[in-house]
Amino acid sequence: MLFRMIKGALLRQKSKMLLIALTIALGASLSTSMINVMLDVRDKVQEEMKAFGANIIVKPNDSTLLGDMYAIEDEGSAFLKQSWLKEEELGKIKEIFWTFQIRNFAPFLNVSAETDTGRPVQLVGTWFNHHLSLATGEELDAGVKDLRSWWDLTKGEWIDESEPDALNQVMLGKDLAGELGLTEGDTLTLNGRAASRTVTVRAVFDSGEDADAQIWMPLDLAQALSGLEGCVGTVEVSAITEPDNELSLRAARNPGGLSAKEWDQWYCTAYVSAICYQITEVMSNSTAGAVRQVAEGEGAILEKTELLMIMITALSLVGVALGISNLVTASVMERAQEIGLLKAIGAKDKAVTGVIMAEILITALFGMAVGYFMGLGFAEFIGRQVFAASIDIKPIVIPIVAAAISLVTVAGSLPAIRMILKTDPAVVLHGSKA
Amino acid sequence: MSKRRMFFKMITASLLRRRSRMLIALLSIAVGATILAGLVTVYVDVPRQMAASFRSYGANMLLMPGEKKALNRESTDEALSLISREKLQGASPYRYISAEFMGNQTGEGKYSSQLKFMTAGTSFDEVQKTSPYFAVEGRYPEAPREALVGKNVAATVGVKPGGNVRLAYDRVKTVAAGQTQRELQGSAPGYYDAEVGATVLLNEDGTIAAVAMDLSRQTPFRVAGLTTDSFTDTYGVAHAESFTDQFIGKQIPLTMSASADDLDEYIDAVSGATASCKAVVDAVNAASETGTHSAGQQITDTERAAMSFTVVGILETGGEEEDYIYLSQRDMEDLTDERDVYDVVELSVSGSSEELSALAGEINEKTGLEARLVKRVTKSEAGVLGKLQALVFLVTLVVLVLTMISVSTTMTAVVSERRKEIGLRKALGASDGSIRVEFLGEGLFLGLLGGVVGAVLGYVFALVVSRRVFGSDLQFNFLLVPATILVSMLVSALSCLIPVKRAVAIDPALVLKGE
Repeated sequence: MLFRMIKGALLRQKSKMLLIALTIALGASLSTSMINVMLDVRDKVQEEMKAFGANIIVKPNDSTLLGDMYAIEDEGSAFLKQSWLKEEELGKIKEIFWTFQIRNFAPFLNVSAETDTGRPVQLVGTWFNHHLSLATGEELDAGVKDLRSWWDLTKGEWIDESEPDALNQVMLGKDLAGELGLTEGDTLTLNGRAASRTVTVRAVFDSGEDADAQIWMPLDLAQALSGLEGCVGTVEVSAITEPDNELSLRAARNPGGLSAKEWDQWYCTAYVSAICYQITEVMSNSTAGAVRQVAEGEGAILEKTELLMIMITALSLVGVALGISNLVTASVMERAQEIGLLKAIGAKDKAVTGVIMAEILITALFGMAVGYFMGLGFAEFIGRQVFAASIDIKPIVIPIVAAAISLVTVAGSLPAIRMILKTDPAVVLHGSKA
Repeated sequence: MSKRRMFFKMITASLLRRRSRMLIALLSIAVGATILAGLVTVYVDVPRQMAASFRSYGANMLLMPGEKKALNRESTDEALSLISREKLQGASPYRYISAEFMGNQTGEGKYSSQLKFMTAGTSFDEVQKTSPYFAVEGRYPEAPREALVGKNVAATVGVKPGGNVRLAYDRVKTVAAGQTQRELQGSAPGYYDAEVGATVLLNEDGTIAAVAMDLSRQTPFRVAGLTTDSFTDTYGVAHAESFTDQFIGKQIPLTMSASADDLDEYIDAVSGATASCKAVVDAVNAASETGTHSAGQQITDTERAAMSFTVVGILETGGEEEDYIYLSQRDMEDLTDERDVYDVVELSVSGSSEELSALAGEINEKTGLEARLVKRVTKSEAGVLGKLQALVFLVTLVVLVLTMISVSTTMTAVVSERRKEIGLRKALGASDGSIRVEFLGEGLFLGLLGGVVGAVLGYVFALVVSRRVFGSDLQFNFLLVPATILVSMLVSALSCLIPVKRAVAIDPALVLKGE
């Protein structure tokens, strides 16, 4: 009987129930999309942040200062020879525990050479889009093309390392290019410490930094010119990291001072200090440190964005809750006469409440199901439009949205039903409204 | 009763009689209006607020000396006056020198280490604004003679907060020769195979005009007890101006004396460093002519100055700043004896990359200084900021559309309930038009009320967001108030009209019957 009554009500009052279902669907879709976007916004924005460059720098142990301080240009001295990083170990950076957090990396080798006219020039050997096949079977292109996203090429194109003649190409900083009077397609001869090469200018770039007075070239070429085969000066690593907390700061100062449990927790969280530590484990004779300018800025922006999204989500959820409970209250009140009649012919309060609640909840269920998928659509739309990537769908959103909307629906309808039930059926049926 | 009064009476009566329903409708419109006003305000204000947050990436503009314009306090102020106050987050002036590390013990130790560090003089209050990512173990310098030392420097020289560094700088002085002078150079043996070198300038009348000692060949040799609480090396004393200044106006050969004497050519030796003083005098006496400076010619001379600093903080940045030593501007001026000279001023300015390029252009043009953008920061910032703005825009759009639909469904539900009333009125002879106008009036009235409430609540929401998220106050756009009210009136009127139109279209008999 109950079932027939509900079915009857649902069918008879199609348009009214449709309105409830529609509102609940809208509410559910709004909450689904907002919560999904909110939960994923950190990852997405962090992905965008890679525009600011690497957040970890790996250097050889104890050598850096001496080279910088005395401006030692003689790279061949026996003392400095020992303090290079090894090129063959670079792939291991992508084989650490946090391999998926490593977005990109590039080695750098700063050496000097002279042009034919005897003018000394600074050379930077690096990877542009170096193809790596790792022991894990993973393949990737690593290099500065992404790590220097703020560069403008005023002439020409980025060096493409997959081309066979890439090894004879260089990119010139705009200041140096202007001074030497060279542009794309020109050739110049570089006399390094170990060898001389005639190279072609592939591009002229505007970096807004010191690099504007440098020549950038494939790592192998710089190594050949200086006779430093297999050597790398520094490595820049761009990694997705968790914001620092008390534990990670303590660990960064002294990893040895942690208890076994803390150690595990630290090592297995993508803190920048943990990633640095793991890099020094795989690169021999290295120290890795966070570039605070990038890490701090990233942290500040992420925190603000996330907080902003939480606030907006909270406002829209409050809006959804009020909207749904409003509508449900209105639709219950509209049925005051029906409720009065049921009561007049002897229905118990409980039974009346049960029938009406069941009707509304069944309608809500349909609304929620439709709304959930609509919400996924909205989230996908936002993700595609803003970040050109799908928003990660979290299953946890389903129970949250279902519970919240059911609660709001019940909270909206129960008080209204109670109120009508309390009123004398005669008054209700007479139509004078309380 | 006039027609208009009747109309208002009908609307108010309807609103009052049906209190609870109308309250629901009103609430729903108010919620919609709150979301509208709140989100749009946040959306409009977010770029400004976010741009300020992006300043945690550090300076995005550099001021450098122009071809014909020196960079100093005055020209910097001139450039800063072109930037609006609220956009300028900070401006730190830097003066860079290469200073020689002279030891880290307390006191007046004076020996050369050949270790040179880049040393910057700056304003630490401004540095904290332009480089918020600087992590300092200890604290920033506050008092005179305090230094902030980069992590790598600290590790190299082995100094901790509370320790000391002594820095020496060779001041370059340019003097115009007042008369034709002869330059003489000579040397004499000192302690431990050291060779003491001297350069002497002689006036036309043969008196000594200036003496410069060559410090590069000295060997550290210290004696205790020269001053009450410290060590001093004897050559340091003998080379000091306080000693060599006595030579000026006298003629070669000089004669040494251990006690004060009224004889003109006698030189007082510094007690405890007599042998070193003697070596210096010998070097001057041994000087022979190497050249002449004609009158008016510019002569540069270096003069070594050394100062001790208390290390109060160790700087960690992960960048090249870790290889630097930072002093206050005043201390740097004292060390170099050059006042009001900047090498570069780092500016942190909030604004879009177009605004910044325009600003840089204006500064170049109007002040003659060279303003440059730090591309790494400005360009990346523009990209990320654009994405964030797009995110807030789309989210706002989706929320608004869904909210407006939800408001109109509630209004529709409230109005649909009154189909019987509409039927009855029609049966009594009311025209379709008059019924529509009445409901429209009701809808507009609810929209107005809900819009006003919503605009106020929306402002409160935006203010809370602004304070909680960005920790700053809101710039409220007052145009948004009429806009919010207008949109809520429109939405509520439209959502009233749709069900009314449907009710009016049906035969009153059917409506009254309840089909």
